[in-house]
Amino acid sequence: MNQNLHQAGVKLLNALSRHSELIMQVYLSGTLQESKYSPKVIESLVKQGILWRPEAEAELRLKNAVRNLLESSLQDERNRQVDANIGSALASLKTLAQHYKEALEHGRFAESEAHLSDLTEHVYGLTESLANNVRVLFSRINNEFGYVSSIDAKIRENELAQGQVSDLLKQLELFRFDELSTVAGSHRELRHLLVVALQQCFSRVTQELAIVQARLLELLGRFREFRGRTRLLKGFVLHMEQKPDFAPGNYYNLTQVTMLFNVADKMIKPAAVDVNRVEHEQELQQIVGSIKSLHRANKGYQPERAAQQIHVEQQSSVEFAEDLLKNAVEDYFCRVIDSGKRITALDYYQENKLEFDPEAWIYQVIGGYQGLTSEEQAYFAIETSGEPHPIYNGNFIIRDVELGLR
Amino acid sequence: MITEQGRILELLLSGRFICQVSDEDAWRFLKTSGNTDKIETQLNVLNRTLASAAEGEVFYAAYQTLAEPERKVLGSQFQEISTNLLPLVEWLLLVQQAGGSDVPVTQGSALRLNELQSSIEDTPAFAEQLEKISRYRLFGSTSTHLEGQLKQVFKRLTDLGYLLKPNQDKQIYLGTGKIEYLYEVIRFIDETEALSLAEQAEQSVQQGNLL
Repeated sequence: MNQNLHQAGVKLLNALSRHSELIMQVYLSGTLQESKYSPKVIESLVKQGILWRPEAEAELRLKNAVRNLLESSLQDERNRQVDANIGSALASLKTLAQHYKEALEHGRFAESEAHLSDLTEHVYGLTESLANNVRVLFSRINNEFGYVSSIDAKIRENELAQGQVSDLLKQLELFRFDELSTVAGSHRELRHLLVVALQQCFSRVTQELAIVQARLLELLGRFREFRGRTRLLKGFVLHMEQKPDFAPGNYYNLTQVTMLFNVADKMIKPAAVDVNRVEHEQELQQIVGSIKSLHRANKGYQPERAAQQIHVEQQSSVEFAEDLLKNAVEDYFCRVIDSGKRITALDYYQENKLEFDPEAWIYQVIGGYQGLTSEEQAYFAIETSGEPHPIYNGNFIIRDVELGLR
Repeated sequence: MITEQGRILELLLSGRFICQVSDEDAWRFLKTSGNTDKIETQLNVLNRTLASAAEGEVFYAAYQTLAEPERKVLGSQFQEISTNLLPLVEWLLLVQQAGGSDVPVTQGSALRLNELQSSIEDTPAFAEQLEKISRYRLFGSTSTHLEGQLKQVFKRLTDLGYLLKPNQDKQIYLGTGKIEYLYEVIRFIDETEALSLAEQAEQSVQQGNLL
């Protein structure tokens, strides 16, 4: 029997893990989308009591036990249900304790052992469910009923939670520790479970519930304040819509002006510098030192500095003249080479009736000679004729140059 | 070096509202009863007195006695408040609705500009409302883009002291005590003029339900 139970349990848990996707989908959306999963899987889950169909035409839902398991393990705040059936739990505890005592009296130790473990399970189950209920309430308070958006809904949620707290407190009153201690009698295990464990749990839960209640009232006050403010604002807008020319009376002319509209004008202006204060000297100097003197007076519009269009033209005439001069020099050099005689530049100039400025011509001839590579220069000999300057020492005035072949 | 007391005196005399968000040290200083007396005597010299609003959440300087010039100042100030009231209220409602949590903006509320922007972008009704709000003279936006309008509105509100930008690099704003002051002003007008604004709002909601 025990072996069977074990196997069945493992099978159930395996089914849960194998179809975890499906189960979470049902948990989050409420119902199963049957078209998405194979009918075989669904059927097996129904058989194992994980899914069930509340009505013939209704969609499949998660069994409450599975849902509870998920809610308490995931600490899901959507869980708003507070289960407070302490009366029946206590009655079953008492019954089990009677069974245990009877078994002990008759010396049926194996049976008594079973009863005791059952009782332990029940006691801890009760304490856990109480602690869980308080936790559920706290988690809802801590995010200020964040799962609903409007203030009115928050107020309703708050009222529901308050009702649950008072229910829980009423249920807690069912704890009669004197009765429990009589039931436990002098049995050590029973006393530990029924008196010590339950009492600890009881005092903790009552304390926490007191805090929960205080917090709930505080929150309710705040929500009401919020609602009041929202209504005030909305009412004002409405009023202005209905009476656009509304203006509040001139309260400032009453003999007794309310402090609310008595706001004094600002009067403090920045202080000025006192240059005669010795202790400020350093700071003032620094300030003066950091002043940049800018000599950029505003000169207004300057047409000559404005952007202008630039005309790019080829300066052909100048280039032409230069070329002419250069060609003439080249002709002169060729003439020297052809004739093999020494010819002065000015002789050549007159001979060919050149029209350049003679000085420019001589310059160009010298330049032409200097412009040759040293190898070519070696073929020519150039000699200048002229005289030293009469006044400025060391200056030599060239009157003419003579070019010949070496 | 200016003392803490002097610093707070300066804040008050420059027309600032002191609350826990804008200047916690100063606010705590003023919360201590011995200190308020000291500040009070100094303010009295200048015909000012320490005033507080929103159940001691906000401190500011008020006039001690009111003669003609003071009344003139208050008059112009009041004109400004009452013309700015509607844009501010519409802005508060827009932020509350677009914020998604339906919680009104209060002192210490953190407003993330990016989140707000995307929420307004997604809802054409919010975008229209923002456009309308940003055109008020108080905000004076000329931008045709939603982002520009939103930034201008928040910038103006920060200049006016309703919001605070704790970190210059991040687009996160905190509501200051001046918002609490604003609520109190509306509440005061509601009571004195017997407008019963809250009831009007509730009625319209119920009528909306019927329709």
